[in-house]
Parts: sequence; C-alpha cells; structure tokens
Amino acid sequence: MEEVVRRDVDSNRIASLLTELDPDANRPANVIETNGLNLHFGPKAILNGVNMTFARGTITALIGPTGSGKSTFLRTINRMNDRVSGFRHEGDVLLDGQSIWAPSQDLLAIRRRVGMLFQRPNPFPMSIKDNVVAGVKAHGIAKGKQLDVVAEIRLREVGLWDAVKDRLNESPYRLSGGQQQLLCLARALAVGPEVLLLDEPTSALDPLSTESVENLMRTLTPALTLIVVTHNLGQARRVSDNTMFFYEGRLVEHGPTSQVFEHARETDTARYVNGLMG
Amino acid sequence: MSIITTGYPKTGWRRAKAAGFRVFTWGSLLFVVGPALWLIIGVVVRAVPNWRWNVLTTMSQGTSGGLANAIVGTAVLMLGVLVIAGTVGVLTGIHLSEFAVSRRGRASGATMRIAVDVLSGFPSIVLGYVGYVALCVGLHWGFSLLPALIILSMMVVPYIAKSTESALRQVPTNYREGAEALGMSTGYALRKVVVKSALPGIVTGLLIALSIAGGETAPLLYTAGVTNNLPTWSILHHPIAYLTYYVWTDWNQPSAEAHIVSFDASLILVVMVLVLLIVARVIVARTQRHAEGAR
Repeated sequence: MEEVVRRDVDSNRIASLLTELDPDANRPANVIETNGLNLHFGPKAILNGVNMTFARGTITALIGPTGSGKSTFLRTINRMNDRVSGFRHEGDVLLDGQSIWAPSQDLLAIRRRVGMLFQRPNPFPMSIKDNVVAGVKAHGIAKGKQLDVVAEIRLREVGLWDAVKDRLNESPYRLSGGQQQLLCLARALAVGPEVLLLDEPTSALDPLSTESVENLMRTLTPALTLIVVTHNLGQARRVSDNTMFFYEGRLVEHGPTSQVFEHARETDTARYVNGLMG
Repeated sequence: MSIITTGYPKTGWRRAKAAGFRVFTWGSLLFVVGPALWLIIGVVVRAVPNWRWNVLTTMSQGTSGGLANAIVGTAVLMLGVLVIAGTVGVLTGIHLSEFAVSRRGRASGATMRIAVDVLSGFPSIVLGYVGYVALCVGLHWGFSLLPALIILSMMVVPYIAKSTESALRQVPTNYREGAEALGMSTGYALRKVVVKSALPGIVTGLLIALSIAGGETAPLLYTAGVTNNLPTWSILHHPIAYLTYYVWTDWNQPSAEAHIVSFDASLILVVMVLVLLIVARVIVARTQRHAEGAR
C-alpha cells in the first residue's frame, strides 16, 4: 500500500516536472497563425486573404503551380521578403501569438526561432564543422569546446556524422548534393528553431537523398513545426499532415493531406493533385 | 544524305576560325608575359654582376652608398598605404556593393562611383603637385610621410574600391540568404561569410595598390622629398627616402657607381613586389581552402 502511494507521488512529480520542462507547454497550440494576409510586390498582388493556422508539431505541405504565391508566403513567415524592394503586406502573421512585425520583435531572434532550408544546398565557404555551428556562433549560444559537441549532436541528428566525422575540417563542397543539404539542415537545427521552413528542399536532390531528407522530416516532429513548399505531390502526400493548395494568388483549399488529395472540395484542387493541371 | 553534305559545308572555315582565335590568345599571352620577363631579366642581368650585400645595410650618400634608408622608406610607404587606402578602399567597395543598392542608398552610390572614376583617371603627377601645393606648402607640412601617404592613397583607393565591389557582387546570393535565414546580422554575415568568399578579389585589388605605391615616383618627388637617413617616427616635416627615387635620379647621373645603385634599387623593388605576390597567394590559398571552387 505504502509503495503504491509513493509511486503515485513520484509519477505526479514526474508529470509536473515534464510539463515544467516542456518548452511548448505554455505556448499557444498554434505556432503560426496568419490573419487576412495580403502580399504585394509593387503594384502586383501576389497573395490575397490567407487565413491559416499551423498547429505545433505538424508538417504542412504548400502545393500549387509555379507563381501561385506559395514560396512568397513561405518567405514572409521569417521576414525574408522584408528587404525585397516593393514588398508590402496587409494583415498579420503571428508567431506564438505575437505579430512578427511588432516593434518589440527582434528580427534576428525571429530568424533563430523560424529556420529555413533552401532549394539548393547552400553551405558557407568554411569547414564542415564551422558550417554546422555558424548560427550557434552568430547567436552566441555556445563557444569553444562546446561547439564540437553541438556539431556532433546535430550531425548525428541528420545522420551525417559517420560520413563526415573524419573530415570535419574539410570543405563542405566535397560532399554530395544530398549530404550538403543535410549539412544545411544540421546548421538550421543547431540554433534550436521552433519552426522550420523548407523551400522545395529536395528538388535538387537524387531519389535516395530525397528519401533520407523525408525520413528526417518525420523524426523532427513533434519537436518542430515544419512547413514545406514542394512541387513533388508524392512528397506532400508522404510526409505532411496538412496540405495547403495555392492557385493564382489564393489559398484555394487546405485541410488534412488525405482529404485534400482524395476528397478535394474544389475542382482546381482535384485537377492539380490528379495531375490534370501543372 | 544530301541534307548532311550540304548542311555542313563550312567545317574547314570553322577550323580556320578556331585556329586563328587560338593564335590570337597565345599572341596576347606573349604580349603580357614577354615584357614582364624582359624587364625582370634586364634588371637582374644588370644588377647582379655588381651586387654588394651592404646596399641592404648602409645608408645612401647622395648618389652613392647603400639603399637601407630607401628600402625602409618604401616599406613604410607601402604599409601606410595598406592601412589608409586599404581601409578606405575596402569600406568604399563594401558601401558600393552592399548599401548603395537600396532605393535610399542609390544616390550615395552614384556620387561615390563618379568620384572613384574621376580619381582613377587623374595623372599621378597632377595629384603629386596638388599634394605639394595644398599639403606640403599650404599646410606647412613640408616634404614628409603624411602628405606622401595621402596622395598615394588617393591614387590607389579607386583600384581597391572597384575590385572590392566587383568581388562582393560575385558572392552567391545563396550565401547571403543562408546567413540571413540563420539570423545573422548584416554586419556579422558580411564579416564571417560574404567578405571571406570575396577575399581573393579584394586581395588582388590591395596587391595592385601596393605595387603602385611601391612603384610610383612622380607624386613622391613632390611630397616625400628625399633623405639619406632612415624614416623617423614623425610623420610631418621629415622627408622620407624611397627606392624609385634612386632608380630615377641615379640613372640620370654620369657616374657608373650611380648607375649600379640605380639597378640595385630596381632589383630590390622587383624582389619586394614578388615577395608581396607570393605572400598574398599563400594568404588567399589558406583562406579559400573551403571555397566552392577549391574542390
């Protein structure tokens, strides 16, 4: 009897400790929310009236033909469009309930919380190890010997450690394209983001590398929230929980991936996911 | 069949064009390498037979004696130009490529670019005379290090600025975007990522600048003066010696002894520039170990 009680106490404590330690416990359930978001480049409207929520720990695929506005939407979330001349926005994007354009927001901190992986692998011209810790150094998160530890943890996380552990001081450009992309992913993960934006992350990669990146994406949730722009409908179907379909500057339809692919409400969506429209 | 035979009648003409083009490119190579070799061999052949090691350690006495004062003087001038023109030129290049591209910054960029072009088109002797009138006489600085450095720097800043600007513009957008997306500030990204990959171009500009600084004579005649003594720590009112002065002046003297000094000075200058080239190459090679092209 006594033993049972003690176990009860312990499990309660563990539960409360876990809640205390979980960084997401006190954050809103939706990590990103857009309210009536309109995007323009100069006089040209790119995207109109996007209202969307991204639940924490999910993978969302953004699909649609070229020029539909999905990449612009993605690059708005970490404010990469801010410096593009002529860029204007109406409406708002909330990150953990706070506008990303609020004056109190630190742009560099937003970029740390919302990481990004690009279409073409873009390692910096520095050693493999320095690449992984480039962001860590920039934000002063770790230094000295700690950097070696960070590099190892992140390279292991993306499954690159065994391939590169003996050449950490070599050029990243000697790696294959797929390995370079994994290196960039390790670099993005190293600063500890909440959200990762992926802009066609596998379109420059071979099928095997694509598979390893896709597998990784699944292991990154629910710790991270992933938003992926992809032209690969198979990929959207394989990895994502939710899918958003963009067409001609509008968010035409969104919902659970299986629903969007199998029971689309809109004819445009059905035509696109069935390959009748490119 | 007839299509093929009539469709490719010009194989012979294309071969001739290709051969002709190759002749021209090889000819251009000779045009560049030939004079360079001729100059170096000419200097070595005339200087080496009469070479005395003590020119490196003794001071000049008018048109005879050693060249220690001039060697140190030229080194000081080069170092000064590296610091002054290097700083101003690289910063100008960074401004032109990084900050003068926004709508607000464009006006400053246009002004700066015109100024740089004007400056690079000025004859060096005019700049030298301006320095003499405005600085040595106007400000009562006399023949001394500071006016010489200012005038030399004005001459070479355009080279450094232009090569820095074009090197920075060639840095892939990929790097900048990657740095931006990681949350690096503009300055941090510039220092750690962008400038590093533009370094070969920037170093090339600095090298040209230093070679010019070491090889100029006309503007220095007006601003640096000359002296038989080593440079002092005072940058005003004390003339400073430099190698090209002896190359030029001693060659115009009647005595054979002066001619020997003239060729010694030339040889030392050539060696200094070559050493500079090698050092720069080594530095560039070391920093570009991880560059995209260096597989």
